[in-house]
Order: sequence, then structure tokens, then C-alpha cells
Amino acid sequence: MHFDWSYFWAQLLTPSSAFLVGLGLTVAMAVSAEIIGVVLGLLFAQLRLSRRRSLRAIASLYIWAVRGTPLLVQIVFIYTGLAAAGIMHFSDFTLAGITIPGNLQAGILALGLHEGAYMAEIFRAGIMAVDKGQTEAAKALGMPPLMLMRHVVLPQALRVILLPIGNQFNILLKNTTLVSVIGVSEMLLVTETINSATFRTFELYAVLGIYFLILTSAWSLFMGWVEKRLQLGRKSKIVRIQAVAAEAES
Amino acid sequence: MSMADDILVDMQNVDKYFGANKILDNVDFTVKRGEVVVLIGPSGSGKTTLLRCINHLETIEHGRIMVNGKMIGYREIGGKLIEDRERNIAVQRRDVGMVFQRFNLFANMNVLRNIAISPQLVRKAAKQEALAQARALLKRVGLAEKEEAYPSELSGGQQQRVAIARALAMNPAILLFDEPTSALDPEMVGEVLAVMREIAQSGMTMVVVTHEMGFARQVADRVVVMAQGRIIEQGPPDQIFGAPSHPVTQRLLGAVLH
Ligand SMILES: Nc1ncnc2c1ncn2[C@@H]1O[C@H](COP(=O)(O)OP(=O)(O)OP(=O)(O)O)[C@@H](O)[C@H]1O
Ligand SMILES: [Mg+2]
Repeated sequence: MHFDWSYFWAQLLTPSSAFLVGLGLTVAMAVSAEIIGVVLGLLFAQLRLSRRRSLRAIASLYIWAVRGTPLLVQIVFIYTGLAAAGIMHFSDFTLAGITIPGNLQAGILALGLHEGAYMAEIFRAGIMAVDKGQTEAAKALGMPPLMLMRHVVLPQALRVILLPIGNQFNILLKNTTLVSVIGVSEMLLVTETINSATFRTFELYAVLGIYFLILTSAWSLFMGWVEKRLQLGRKSKIVRIQAVAAEAES
Repeated sequence: MSMADDILVDMQNVDKYFGANKILDNVDFTVKRGEVVVLIGPSGSGKTTLLRCINHLETIEHGRIMVNGKMIGYREIGGKLIEDRERNIAVQRRDVGMVFQRFNLFANMNVLRNIAISPQLVRKAAKQEALAQARALLKRVGLAEKEEAYPSELSGGQQQRVAIARALAMNPAILLFDEPTSALDPEMVGEVLAVMREIAQSGMTMVVVTHEMGFARQVADRVVVMAQGRIIEQGPPDQIFGAPSHPVTQRLLGAVLH
């Protein structure tokens, strides 16, 4: 076995500009898809909990179809499939001097739709975990559905949904590599391209793996920090309860 | 004021099912403006369900319920009753306050916000106005010093008094109470009943489900007795407590009084 350390360190510490662009694309795709996913997730969670059967059916269908098929298939279906059928052709789009290629749009859309189905289930579980009495009290005070969702239910569901949302984003970060199949030059495709010229497969993929580890570890640290803050909030409340109890006793 | 204006809640021929079980059976029930009605009956007789129909927390299968002269929960289209849209129902619920057995204070808000949020968001009151009103109400229920506390930091009795203040903040036409003291430790029952008594004396229209017969005797204008989804007897407290005519009432009061 031969591992070329100097090549490895060079790729790791001074990556090519194409690789850095790929890194940017990976992060940009994950963040955009996450935003789409959260919006869709909120929407479809509402639909699944709707009192109208037709709305519930639409949401169930979407979640069932997305969760029951491979993401790779969804990506190709949306970009290549829809274009071949003449339904939708993703073409380049320029906004404020930045061109967003068609395949990137399709990739973000596919990742977002995929994420939305998982988010919908996470939000639904979070909403259902909130005591029903909270919703009833809000209704009894005349709050319409969106208002009670926003001010009463979602803030209380947050504690339950934060951790699974964090895990889901970790998966999404890694799933962006699948978009290479429709030619988006994210980190994996850039690595493949360099590899086909240099055949330093071992070193190149080790570097790629390390970059993903850096991304996912940074995200884990961030989520840990957020969770600690929430827990601290809870703890300070417990301390206050003890203070109140002590006051009552004295 | 005409006769019709005098009647705040008018339930007619109401049937309510849970699955195949008939929970309310052809119920007629009216509440006049300013009246305090106490609802009693054995466990499972449908008291909670009746109360929850008045603000359409439950659907009904037959009959109609008018609140403040308007049908609640349904629209009549071509002779058929169709369930109304949630946001229309929400508008009607503004005038019907409800106090729950388990308080249901918003766990994510402090006491002041619990009271001020609905006037602010639903009635579109100015923030300062809503806060000032909330403070006045807290004082009225004897909890002026607790405005910063979270519900989890309060005793049951305190939480229920905040819940009453929260309901009052919407300036409802009527207040519904579903066993407001039965989740409380005995030593806290009194403080909640005292607040309810004061509200009744201020002229508020109230429907109260309770096992507190002392309260019923002193405060009720009318006592309504339910059994198996029907109203079996009603009248002034003296009559119901002094000379109950229905055997179920006799048994019920016997069980409670002795
Ligand atoms: N959500 C529900 N689903 C099915 N059955 C229900 C539901 N809520 C109530 N019931 C049934 O309806 C009947 C009446 O219930 P309700 O709660 O109105 O009685 P209640 O008079 O308030 O009794 P309690 O004094 O125990 O509170 C009971 O038999 C109960 O089991
Ligand atoms: Mg009950």
C-alpha cells in the first residue's frame, strides 16, 4: 500500500478553487433544501392534522411517496425525467449577476421535497406531543388555527423537534453528494474529476471524507450548544421554583 | 330589551354521539343574560360534553345551539347544517370564556402574557392597554405579585385563578366552568370559589359544572341536573336541594350531602 502523504496534506490544506466552490455548493444546497424542507414540513404537518380528509390524504400521499423511494431516483426523476417528458425543463437562471444552473435548481428542489416529507413527520410528532389542553384553551379564547399554532403549540413543540431536525440536517449534508449524478459540481463530483486525471483515489477520498467530517462535526457542536442553552433555560426555571418554595417555607 | 335578547345560550334538541354512543340525548338548555346556572349529575352523564358544545369544542349531530343570537359551529345551507370554518368559529368563541378542570395555562408564557395575549392578538388591543388590563385582573384574583411567574411555578389554586383572569380578559358574554376545583388540593378550593363568587356577584353570566354543593346553593340562580345525557330536573337551588323530585337527584345529593 502506498499513501502519498504530501499529496494528501496538499489537497487537505490547500484545496483547489474548484473544490472550494464544491464545498460552497454543498453547504448552499443543504441550507436551501433545509429551508424548503422546513416550510414544506410545517405545511404538510398541518395538512396531516387537518380535519378535512382530502387534505390529510394529499399529505399522506406525499409523505408515503417520498419516504418510500430512493432519493437518488427522486433527483434523476425531477431533473432528467420531467425534462424528458416535456413537463418541466430546468434552465439556467440569473439573479443579480449570479447564475443558478438548472441542474442545481433541480437538485435543491429534489433535496427540499425529500427533506419536507421527513420534516412533516417530525413536526407532526412534535405538535402531537403538546398537551391537547393547550390547544383547547387557545381555541376557547378565540384564537384562529394559525395563531394558536404559532404562539402556543410550536414554541412548546420546539423542545421535542429540535434534536430530530438536527439529525435530519446531518443526513441532508451528506445526501447532497447524490446530486452529483445530475452533474452539479459539489465536492464529490469535483473529487471524481480530479481523480480521473490523477488516480490518487485513496488520498482524494480521504480528504473528501475529512471535509464532510468537519461539516457534520461543526453542525453537531452547534446543535449541542443550542440544546445546552435550552436545558439551561429549563434549569434556571427549576432553580427559581426552588427559590419560590424556600420563600414559601420561611 | 326584548325576550330574545335576554337569552344568551339557546340549545335546542341537541344530540351528540361519540361513535355509536349517544352522549347528549335531545337536550334543550337555555341560559339567560346574567344568570348563574350550576350543572350537576353523576359521572359520565354528559356535563362536560354539554359545556364543550356551547363553544363548539365538540360537534353535534342534531339540533342547534345559538349563542348571543347567532348559531355556533354551523351554517345553514339549503336547510342543512354544515360545519363552519375554523376561523369563523374562532370569532364566535371570543365571547364565550371557558375555565378548565386542569387549568391549561400556556406553559410557554408567564402569567402576565397568559392573560394579555388573547386581548392583544385576538381583540387587537394595544399592548400597553392589554398589559394594564391583565395587571388589574391579576389584582382582582389576588395574584398581583405573580405576574412574572410561569405556570409551573404556581400552585393549582393560583393557576386556576390565573386561568379565570385569562378568560375574563376577553370580556366574554358568558363564562363556562368545568369542575374548576376538582383537580385542586382541598385547601385551595376555597380561594378559587371565592373568586368565582365575586365574579357571579359582578353580574357575569355563568354555567358551572361542579360538585361543590355549598357553592351551588349560595350562588346559583338555577340548578340543572343531568343523567345519561338528558336534563332530568331543574329549578332554583332551594327546590333542587330541598325537595328533589327525581330519584337520580335524590341519590346524587344523598351521596354528596351525607
Ligand atoms: N372524546 C370522547 N370519546 C368518546 N367518548 C367520550 C369522549 N368524551 C366523553 N365521552 C363519553 O361521554 C360520556 C359523557 O362524558 P362527559 O365527560 O361529558 O361526562 P361528565 O358528566 O362530565 O362526567 P364527569 O363527572 O366524570 O366529568 C361518558 O360516557 C364518556 O365516557
Ligand atoms: Mg366532566
